[in-house]
Formats: sequence, C-alpha cells, structure tokens
Amino acid sequence: MTLVKEAPVRPAGKRSAPPAAGRRGRRRENLAGYLFMSPWIAGFLLLTAGPMIASLYYAFTSYNLFTPPKWVGLDNFTTMFQDPRWQKSVEVTLKYVVVATPLKLLLALGVALLLAQKRRGQGLYRAAFYMPSLIGASVSVGFVWRALFSDDAVVDRTQKVFGLDAGGWIGNPDYVLYALVALSIWQFGAPMVIFLAGLKQVPQELYEAAEVDGAGPLRRFWNITLPMISPVLFFNVLLESIHAFQVFGSAYVVSDTRCGPADATLVYTCYLYQKGFKEAQMGFASAMAWTLVVAVALVTAVLFWSQKKWVHYEEAAK
Amino acid sequence: MERRTILKAAGASAATLGLAATTGCGGGAGASADGTVTLRYAWWGGEPRTIAIRKTIALFEKKYPKIKIKPEFTDYAAFWEKFQTQASGGNPPDVFQNAVGFLRKYDRRGVLMDLKSQADAGHLNLENFRNGVLANGQVDGKQIGIPVGANTMALVIDRKAFEKAGVEPEFGWTWDEYFDALQTIQDKLRIAGDTGYFGIMYLYDLYLRQNGKAFFTETELGFTEDDLTQWWEDGYKRVRSGLVADPKKIEQVAPKSGLSAGLAASEFTWDNFSIRYEGEGESDYGLAPIPTTNGKDTGQYLGSLMLSAFSGTEHPKEVAQFIDFMVHDPEVGRIMGYDRGILATTEQYEAFAPADETNQGVKAYEEDVAAAGVLGKITPHPSGADVVEAAFLRLGGEVAQGKTKPADAAKALFSEAKAAFAG
Repeated sequence: MTLVKEAPVRPAGKRSAPPAAGRRGRRRENLAGYLFMSPWIAGFLLLTAGPMIASLYYAFTSYNLFTPPKWVGLDNFTTMFQDPRWQKSVEVTLKYVVVATPLKLLLALGVALLLAQKRRGQGLYRAAFYMPSLIGASVSVGFVWRALFSDDAVVDRTQKVFGLDAGGWIGNPDYVLYALVALSIWQFGAPMVIFLAGLKQVPQELYEAAEVDGAGPLRRFWNITLPMISPVLFFNVLLESIHAFQVFGSAYVVSDTRCGPADATLVYTCYLYQKGFKEAQMGFASAMAWTLVVAVALVTAVLFWSQKKWVHYEEAAK
Repeated sequence: MERRTILKAAGASAATLGLAATTGCGGGAGASADGTVTLRYAWWGGEPRTIAIRKTIALFEKKYPKIKIKPEFTDYAAFWEKFQTQASGGNPPDVFQNAVGFLRKYDRRGVLMDLKSQADAGHLNLENFRNGVLANGQVDGKQIGIPVGANTMALVIDRKAFEKAGVEPEFGWTWDEYFDALQTIQDKLRIAGDTGYFGIMYLYDLYLRQNGKAFFTETELGFTEDDLTQWWEDGYKRVRSGLVADPKKIEQVAPKSGLSAGLAASEFTWDNFSIRYEGEGESDYGLAPIPTTNGKDTGQYLGSLMLSAFSGTEHPKEVAQFIDFMVHDPEVGRIMGYDRGILATTEQYEAFAPADETNQGVKAYEEDVAAAGVLGKITPHPSGADVVEAAFLRLGGEVAQGKTKPADAAKALFSEAKAAFAG
C-alpha cells in the first residue's frame, strides 16, 4: 500500500544511484521511452484531453449537435441551477453518496477484519467476496437486480415472510434508490482488498503489548487497528465517494433507461445523459459535467483538509 | 511533408476512427470498381420485424444486383440516440425508418431528402397510397417520408375479462360509459380496468381532438395548462380508486405491458401493436373502439411509419429505387404483413391476406374505423415533439405515483415543451 508510508529505512544517498551515463545516452533513453509511450499519449490527447477541453468550451455554448455552437456565456449554468429536475438529480445523488458509501465501507472493513485472521481456506473466501466487484459493473447484473427487487420476486417474498408488504422496490419511488444502494454495497470487494492490505501492515507487537496491558478486542480495534489503518480508510473513503458521485450504469439499467419511476433514481449522470443524448442539449450537458468535476474536487479538498484531524501516519506518531 | 500536413492527416484519420467507432461500421456508402452501390438502411423494432426486413432486402438485392443493402437495427430508444449522433456527424444511413414526431425536427436540421424530385425523375412512384396516408410524410410542401404502413389508436381489451364482466364495447361509446365499464370490471373481477391511459400522449391528443383542440399545432402545444391539469387530476383520482392499475406494479413488469401481465383489463395503444399481446400474455385480446365525447367523433387519424432518405446521400437514384421497391412490391407486402401497420399502398394491401386472427382483427378494426367516417387529418408535429412526448410520459408517471400534483406537472410540461421547441 503506497499510502501507508513506511519508515524511511533507505539511506538517502542510495537514491541517486543510476550508473553515470552521458547526457546523450540519457536523452536517447528518454526518446525511446516517449516512443513507447506514444500510443498512450496519443490516446490521452485525442480521447481524453481533447474532448475535455472541447466540453469545457461547449459548457458556455448552446449546442444541439447540428448547428454550430453558439456562445451563451453563463446561461447554461443559470438555467441549470433553476432547473427543478437538476435540483432533483443533485438531491438523489447526494442521498445515494451519503447512504451507499459508509455502508459499503463498513461492510468492507467488517469482512476484511474477518478475513485477516489465519484460517483454513481463507484464499477461497477472499476470492468469493471479491467476485461481485469484478462483475458488478456489467449490465447483466443490473437486469438481475431488477428481477430480484421486482414485485413478487425474491426480495419481496422474503419481506412478506416477515410481514412487510412493500410490493417490490423497483416500481416504488420511495424504495428504488435503496435497491441501487444495495447493489453498490454488494460490490464491496475492492475496498475490502485494500483494507486487508492495510490490516496486514499493522505491527503485531502493538496488539501483544496491548493484550499484556489488559485491552479487550473492542479496545484494541478502536485504539490500535483504526488509527493504524486510517490512511487506508482515508484512501477508501476518497475513492468510494468519488465513485458514488459518478454512478450511472446501475441506475440506467435498473430503471429500464428512464431513471425513474418518478425520477426517483435520477442520479446526476443519468440526467446528464438524458440532456446530452436524448434531448441533444450538449452545452447544458457539458455545463453539468463540469459542475460535477468542480463539486467532486471540492469534496476531495474537504476530505484532504479533514485528514489532518483523523488520519495518522506512522511518522507523525514518532 | 510539412508539419501541418502531418497534423491534418492525423486529425482526419482520428476523426474517421471516431466516426467508425460511433456508427459501428467502417467504410460507408460508396460505389466500388464494378459499379456496385452500397446503401445503409436502418430501422427500429423487434426481432420479427428484423427477420422480415432481412427477407425483403434479399429480394431487392436479387432484383437489383448492382445495389447492396447494409442493414442497421436497434430498439426504438437506442435508434434515435444513435441516429442523432450519426446525423450530426454527417453520416446518417441512406434510408431509414421514420415517424411523424421526428419529421420536422430533422427537416429543420437539413437531414431529410425531398423525395419529390426523385419521383419527378421517375425513380419513385407516389401513386396508389391508401386513404391519403401519403400526406403523413409531407412537411411544408416537401415529401420527406414515404409511408410503409398506416395505423390508428385503439383500445386493446382482455376479451375474457370483458366477457366475464358482461361489458360490450361499441362504436360511439362515451368516456363515461368507458369508465362505467371499468367500474363494472373492478366490481365483478377485482382487477383494474386500465393500465394508465392518462400518460399516453397520443390518446390525450385524441381526447383533445374530440374537443376541437389538438396536442400539437405546427409550432407549439395546442391546449392549456388547465386542460392538462384537469386530465391528470381525473386520472389520478382513478388510480386512487383502483379503476386504473397501480403504477408501481405496471412499472415493474416493463418491458412487458400491464395488460398482458394481467394487471388490468384494457390498454390504449396503436392497433398494430396488438400483435405483441398474444405473444406476451395468457388471455385472448381484441380491439375495441376509442371512447368519444359526443357519441360520434373519436378524433382518430391514420398514423404511419415511413421511410426517409438522407439529403446528403451519394446515391439519390438508388435510394429512390429502393424505397419504391419497399413500398410497392407485392411480395414485400406479403413478407412484412401488418408489422408496421396496415400496408400503405394498394399493391401491397391487396397482396397480403392475413391468415391469423390477430392480423385479421387489425384489418377489420381499421376497416370499421374507416367506414365510421371518423378519420381526421394528422398535423406534422413541431420540432422537439419527441422530447415533449417523453416528458409527458414521465410527468404522467409522477402524477400516477402521487409524487407530483397534477397542476405542478402540467406547469412543468409547459416549461419543458418551451425549451424543446426552441432547441
């Protein structure tokens, strides 16, 4: 784990160790390096950087794909902030992020704690728990989810056993978002693996010392494990919330491409997609995209700022 | 070579790559060395339609060995998203399926060919269209669509349910009589009567026409916010009372219809869609007339799926020949049947004799409607009509779910329509 900084054991002198090569040799090496990288660089410029710059420009235009973009200044942004559907999409997305992210991380950490212990067949369990993350993004899983949470399907019938008659989550605007949340939680494999790696880095001596001092398991978790893995936790919180802001595929498929019913799963990117590709308002869609970029950057900045308060790096402890 | 030229070449090849990626097809319509011409032909629809159309293409290629047809097909929603991207890149298919809601939109963007010139040149015959449906493809004096079929709205009913409840729909029945029938069905069978009529734009259009208005004028909406508020308030009332099926349930059986899933006893839709119900559902389905306001006028008209051509195609003559073959050839009519509505030209209409009960039902229904003399004329929808239709369906759904008040939903529709017409 790169985030868990190890104590600087390497002597500083060793770093600048490459054998003294001539300037020319190095330049040639660089050239070869760039040459090998060129497919990637070309791809980045053409498929990532180019479109991003273009979309930044379109964000200030009215553009229906057919007539040339017309400069409208900040109009897209002002209409956007007043658009009730845009407000709804922000509301839905925030709700999703705030509910799904912590639950997913909680489950990931819990399972990682179980899997960190030495037991027989642990590798098998790890693989099994990680599996959903590999297939989770696929459209077919979205369809499966739709089938699971529909009226009179597995989830509905199970609920009825407990006397709860919800009548399926998919058609109910009050519940359907939680079906998406469940789908997100189910894919807890990636953060779990990262937690596992973090847990492995916690020095065993700390636990031994604590045990000698009479600390129980809860106390050990709270005072040793949690602080020691806080950099990993920070990394996971960051990554998962950014991911959650961008949720699209599951909402699109589970709602049968309509992001509904009653706009209940109208996540931000879903509305962006509708505006861009269904209504051909590319300027508006670009404005939405850049607003999302700024919003995610702000959230990231806040998280980074907050890490001083709760993330412990080993160096700081010394 | 100068650096600029290299850059340009790189840019051009990148652009081509990009286009190829979006359209999912490399080389386009071009004439090859031996004079063979390739045309791209795109449509939306289910599997049966695709199988039938492929057969007609084979027939065409046999008759015109110098013209090759490259098919492209998807479902309805994906079709228009893809088409929009292709068309904006100057690379739409040469010939494609079209509908009234998209005519003005793409005419305004210069995508559609005026086929009159090809008819004048003798490559395309504009005679023998039944019941004046050819007018469906005309906008501002231009012929930008050629109808392949004609259809009209109908009430599809679950025959067994209607029989059990002892309800008999008949021509000229009124809305009150229709809702009374739903009440009887609910009382006797304990199921809802309708799947959600008030979210269907084309049905509301009929209702408006019965009252001297229409959903669209040539440039905007042809009714008021109050009209729509009233329509949705009544609809929501009927959801609450159980006359109309619970929208939560309807939502979850999609893409199956609520009628074939047995959630209700009737559903308004286009008559040629009735073919789907037999395949999807377990009951017996039939076509019933549209309820009226005054006991006579249904507000109905014949709608159409059409074939349109790209204005920038390199092979206008071949395109016209292809469309001509597809709408007039009797053999094509026999293969397609009523999949896209009652066959539009007399040659094809007379060539096809429906053997199965459903197709016979569609034929009988349209003959009855025509005989009743209620058919009016269709107005070409304004540019942006497709977006308004989607909004109507969505907002109707919100009203049904009790998430938006009818007045607020009506207000939202008007503001979204304004934006759509401007776009």
